[in-house]
Amino acid sequence: MPYDASDSVVQLLDVSKEFMRDKIRIPVLTNTTLHIPKGDFAAIMGPSGSGKSTLLNLAAGLDRPTTGRVIVNGQDLGVLSEAGLSRFRSENLGFIFQMYNLMPVLTAFENVELPLLLAPLNRAQRRQHVEAALRIVSLADRQDHYPRQLSGGQEQRVAIARAIANDPVLLLADEPTGNLDATSAQEVLDLLELLNTQFGTTIIMVTHDPKAARRAKRLLHLEKGTFVQADIEALETSR
Amino acid sequence: MKFIPLIIRNVLRNKIRTLFTGSSIAMSLFLVVLLYSFLMIQDEILEATKPYNRIMVTNVQGLTGNLPIAYLDRIRKMDEVRSAIPFSWFGGRYREETIPFAQFGTDSKYVTDVLQEYKVPDDQLDAWQADKTGCVVGALIAKNKGWKIGDKIPLKGDIYPVDLELTVRGIYDGDSTVDREQLWFHFEYMDEALKAKQQPMAGNAGIVMLRAKSGPIMPELMEKIDKQFASSDAPVRAMTEKEFQQSFMEMMGSVKFFINVISGIVVFSLLIVAGNTMAMALRERTREVAVLKAIGFGRGTILGMVLCEAVIIGLLGGVAGALGAKLLFATVDFSRWLTGFGFLYVPWRTALLGLVLAGFIGLASGIIPAWRAAQLSVVDGLRKIV
Ligand SMILES: Nc1ncnc2c1ncn2[C@@H]1O[C@H](COP(=O)(O)OP(=O)(O)O)[C@@H](O)[C@H]1O
Ligand SMILES: [Mg+2]
Repeated sequence: MPYDASDSVVQLLDVSKEFMRDKIRIPVLTNTTLHIPKGDFAAIMGPSGSGKSTLLNLAAGLDRPTTGRVIVNGQDLGVLSEAGLSRFRSENLGFIFQMYNLMPVLTAFENVELPLLLAPLNRAQRRQHVEAALRIVSLADRQDHYPRQLSGGQEQRVAIARAIANDPVLLLADEPTGNLDATSAQEVLDLLELLNTQFGTTIIMVTHDPKAARRAKRLLHLEKGTFVQADIEALETSR
Repeated sequence: MKFIPLIIRNVLRNKIRTLFTGSSIAMSLFLVVLLYSFLMIQDEILEATKPYNRIMVTNVQGLTGNLPIAYLDRIRKMDEVRSAIPFSWFGGRYREETIPFAQFGTDSKYVTDVLQEYKVPDDQLDAWQADKTGCVVGALIAKNKGWKIGDKIPLKGDIYPVDLELTVRGIYDGDSTVDREQLWFHFEYMDEALKAKQQPMAGNAGIVMLRAKSGPIMPELMEKIDKQFASSDAPVRAMTEKEFQQSFMEMMGSVKFFINVISGIVVFSLLIVAGNTMAMALRERTREVAVLKAIGFGRGTILGMVLCEAVIIGLLGGVAGALGAKLLFATVDFSRWLTGFGFLYVPWRTALLGLVLAGFIGLASGIIPAWRAAQLSVVDGLRKIV
């Protein structure tokens, strides 16, 4: 696939990552290079323990590579301090987790408002953003509900609203449908597709589910720390 | 600030736990505030006596030594002395009561000049002066024991082998620094009873309290008194009323020291209790903290939020304990059950000190959990449970 590097939202350049456990080095990613162009919707598949989450964490600046560089939205994450990374995440990234990870003590509205508290917005502006985000996920009428009053699918949609509230350039989703029934999973995938096509949000989604992966524009297969080329057609015929 | 709602929700998240922590802070602070009020009021009372330029004269050996009543006249004759009275502790038993209240043998003519802030209505003072077995009682003790003018008060001698049969002729009053739980009777009444029994204790004033004509001359006057009786067989020591009260407190045991030690232990154990609660609360929220950090909440923000939460819990306990003590002592009169504690109330200074202490306990209890939360690695935090 031809690409213009400057057009990439995410670039992993020759990235390796290893963990130390009981003084034993565990290599997870080895000399991995990856370019995700603007507006892409990439699905990452691979066996458990192949390093998918690790890869997302590196792209999110939540962890640092052992060697190699990570460049997101033109910013080399390696040069940023802890505080710089926090700020960078708050301004550029949105996260969707498998376990939704909403604050149980906050309403849907307040959960979505959380990332906006870090932005230079006043109360009215925050309200506008939150309401817009909740409308996109079709939960405007649930804004005062607490997470425990929502279904799993609804919780995940609130989580998506939280992830998009600050207009991120990149959305990182780690098995966003992994905890959902088929119908809810469909709704979540519909939403991600909508965000990608209508709003041009770049998405990287880790998934186990081939049905989910099919909704992406591009499929990446991670195996033993490196990408093996795979295409969606092949996936469909193999299943 | 913007994060307050989340902080408040976290405080209220586990209501039982917050309640328990808050109430243990409240109860301990209640105690600490009372102890410090006691100390503060002592100081306040001592300070309040200063404008009256009073000097106490005792035997050099202290209160147990002899102070001949004949000295009283010699002291009165000194130029710098405005007025002087004997102030002799009787310590008799009243009815079935085991602990004696304060009873003093004194001089009805000068007592209200020396103790100027103790107010007795003129007609009552006259009535007392006219009755050899009459007495005057403080307004508070009169109220608590239900004494009225004309009532008989029998006192059985404990230190002295004589009994007194007194009649209430007057009631004195004063502001909050005035000890309104004393009884005054005529020194002569006791002394004559002792003489009649040919007791060697007769003729002993115990204490002579005098009022100097002005403040600046007091050091000189005290020296003069000390010198005047130095070579007699009962040498004396003169000290200001404040010094006297302080020495009395020191005699009671190093009250201040004990109060500080007790408070220190209480505060320390509260720190452990509250700190443990905060640590538990944060451990349960590891994932949430990780998510907040992933979203972009910085270390400082996380640290501040946890500390703020801890301070709020501390202050909740402080408000209940410190202000509760203030309110309780402002509305309920404890002298009814605790004779001698009629002066006890909680000054605003002490209540606020308690509140600040509670905030500090909260803050300190939050430091370690807040630090841990701030340092938490997002990756580890998110992996924790799943
Ligand atoms: N913080 C860590 N410390 C030690 N080992 C880790 C850590 N994170 C991941 N690993 C290890 O790295 C490998 C890849 O993990 P992960 O990226 O979570 O895999 P996946 O998401 O593909 O299932 C696993 O073997 C995992 O045990
Ligand atoms: Mg994973």
